[in-house]
Amino acid sequence: MDVIQIVLLAVVTFIFAIDQFSLTELVYRPIIACPIIGLIMGDVNIGLEIGGTYELMMVGNMPVGGAQPPNAVLGGIVAVLFAVKAGFDTQAALGASVVFALFGQYVVTLTFSFMAFLMAGADKAAAEAKPSGIVKVNFISMAILGSLFAVLAVVAYVGLDTVAGPLDQFSKDFSWVMGGLSAAGGMMRYVGFAILLKIMLANDMWGIYFAGFAAAALLGNVSATSGATLLLVAFIGIAIAMYDFNTNVKLSNAGGNGGQGDGI
Amino acid sequence: MASNMLTYKDLTPAKPLDKGTLNKMAWLSMMLQASFNYERMQAAGWLWGILPGLEKIHTNKEDLSASMTHNLEFFNTHPFLVTFVMGIVLSLEQQKADINTIRSVRVAAMGPLGGIGDALFWFTLVPITAGITANMAIEHSLVGPVLYFIITFGVQMALRFFLLYWSYSLGSSAIGILTKNAREFTHAASMLGVFVVGALTCNYGATTLGMMIPNGTKINDAGEVVENFIDIQGLLNGILPAMIPLAFTMLCYFLIKKRNWTPTKCILLFIFVGIIGCAFGIWSGDYKALVGVPWHA
Repeated sequence: MDVIQIVLLAVVTFIFAIDQFSLTELVYRPIIACPIIGLIMGDVNIGLEIGGTYELMMVGNMPVGGAQPPNAVLGGIVAVLFAVKAGFDTQAALGASVVFALFGQYVVTLTFSFMAFLMAGADKAAAEAKPSGIVKVNFISMAILGSLFAVLAVVAYVGLDTVAGPLDQFSKDFSWVMGGLSAAGGMMRYVGFAILLKIMLANDMWGIYFAGFAAAALLGNVSATSGATLLLVAFIGIAIAMYDFNTNVKLSNAGGNGGQGDGI
Repeated sequence: MASNMLTYKDLTPAKPLDKGTLNKMAWLSMMLQASFNYERMQAAGWLWGILPGLEKIHTNKEDLSASMTHNLEFFNTHPFLVTFVMGIVLSLEQQKADINTIRSVRVAAMGPLGGIGDALFWFTLVPITAGITANMAIEHSLVGPVLYFIITFGVQMALRFFLLYWSYSLGSSAIGILTKNAREFTHAASMLGVFVVGALTCNYGATTLGMMIPNGTKINDAGEVVENFIDIQGLLNGILPAMIPLAFTMLCYFLIKKRNWTPTKCILLFIFVGIIGCAFGIWSGDYKALVGVPWHA
């Protein structure tokens, strides 16, 4: 019975871990995931209770703008484990699961950092025009993320009360490594920007780049506009681009009609 | 090298994409974040999603390689609204527009959708749906989770299909203006693209210093004596907000363009800078520095 439970737990955790970023992006939500874990553990009702409560907690804690809240997948799974196996009530189970949710967040940060290295393989596949290579990179990434989560869920199942303490201690002792990795994760996007700019940034475009930066700095720091920063920036950018387009079309038409007075 | 191509070799517009291919891509769009990473975010998932279309459009290998390469650059948008960008980009690819035009339109379209999608989905639909269904679940009713899934999944999939078909036809109908003045259009589109990347540098750039240097005591508004700190990030903001993201982006640009660094090398540099910085309590964040330093509690 235990072996079947562990296998099922690992399999659904694997799926939830992938689903939190791909697939439906809904099945991993506690309101759906927790009853499923409850079913595996033999008590759907506890799963429903925890799932509903956790979901309401999360409504104020959405995965917005790339920030990683303590991980809901592991938090939910472990809360159900605590409630069913150790008999905790809903609130206590959710509280006890926080350290695991934190570890889920670490795993996500780690995976997202190191998956940047897979991009070199994707670049190679693109250079060779091999679509199968791109598909492979995506599957490898999902397998890594799913497996790490499945392992953590099984660890939580096997050593529910014994691992919480050491995990907590580890997260305290090595918080600087995790802090460093998430700082590095925040920096990696600058590499992505630089790759875009490498091709786009012609010599006459520098001013436009800094103008876009200034527009976002302005709109993003005013509370009334900060939510719509990039949409408003696009409006301004479209106006500049249309002006540029119309001016150049007129210039080239004027040039085409004989070119008189075209002193440029 | 394929990445430096500016136009496709074969400039004959491809046949419009058939319904089967479009539907397949709408489903594949669910895998947008399958290989999410901090460097290029959704790039490889994005490329996976449009590959069925690209393979139909670019029958010659060199063009397919050029298209795959530029579609593997930094990409980040809202996962549920991505098909809007797919439709426009595919219509441009099909017409064999300049690569710089496609790149710029892609960059300009992806940014605003993030904010719109979050507002629509995570701030409106999900909280309302959760408000209704979570209490059903707490009262032991399976209707709760099932209803939750049906509503949110239904809205999501309807959006994916609608946006793909709508933006694909929108892009195809706007193509006339583009081809008549292609050179001017490319220049204008590049301006828009560069403008948006400038905005992304500031808007997505999240690197801040966490250094608070103790500086004696002061008397607060309530008349109590409290400790005083010099906030280094606050000083930097006074010079230029988001100064570190701008400086780091410029550094990467310089290293990649002038020193021929690979992206992987830049990433290793940042992992080093991030971890060493946190060992000495320099970067902001909720952690305990390895070395005891006066500016990091």
